[in-house]
Amino acid sequence: MLGVADACFLIDWARFRRRELLANLFELVFVHEEVLAQIRSPSAIDFVSRLLARGALRLYPWSAAEEELYVQIRDEVALDPRIPSLERPDLLCLVIAYRTGGALLTENLGVLRVVQFHPTYSRVSAWTALEVLEQMVYKGLAEVRSVEDFISLVSEYCEDTKHVFSSRRMGEVVERVRAWLAR
Amino acid sequence: MAGWGGSSSPERARLRKLPEGLVEEWEREDAEFRELRRRSADWKFIEEQPPHLRAALLYFIEKGDRYVAARIAGLTVEEFDELRRKANIPVVV
Repeated sequence: MLGVADACFLIDWARFRRRELLANLFELVFVHEEVLAQIRSPSAIDFVSRLLARGALRLYPWSAAEEELYVQIRDEVALDPRIPSLERPDLLCLVIAYRTGGALLTENLGVLRVVQFHPTYSRVSAWTALEVLEQMVYKGLAEVRSVEDFISLVSEYCEDTKHVFSSRRMGEVVERVRAWLAR
Repeated sequence: MAGWGGSSSPERARLRKLPEGLVEEWEREDAEFRELRRRSADWKFIEEQPPHLRAALLYFIEKGDRYVAARIAGLTVEEFDELRRKANIPVVV
């Protein structure tokens, strides 16, 4: 499985006590060099550098064709006041996820909304940390025997990163995990 | 957002039509997220900050956008993230 990580995802995930599991979930995670440039704190740089050294994270070879896709989606969403503001690195990640078929790892509400409606980009799977934790359960990377175990795992992430997942998102994920546990 | 669909300006005419009810769903979600950030925030800490940091934290509570908040504060995203953690404001998604 391929992933594409944006800066906020990496910054947050680097604080998580189980951060090392990310490399076990994905064969490869792509990162754009402009995303990498946003990462400054010693702890996040250390985490990202180790992923790069292991080959679990790789700089994406950005092309002129992808730059054109970026300009197209930027022109569309920048004019749309219904979409929260999106910075260039967020949209670069969206384009990479579209081109590679990788899961987009993001905490950006604007990106999460674009994939909810856009005819081209709705084929992108956009995952917050919550969906990443869900996938770790399915892959057996986190020992979860009950819904309560899963909620406890999510609580660890929320505590370490000072995050809250919406009731809708949490409810949907918990129901999927419940169904998976009952299979 | 009210009255948006009735606009006739060229810029607005270019906006993609969204599935019915989606904008309303986003508005409800925005209100829920804003309330979670407001409720959790350490208002005493926020009030004690210099004006540009206070403005950035207040913007973040309203919009939940770390990038723009960091720009207002004159900080990197990560530096702002440290500040919002001290102010006990969660990222809500």
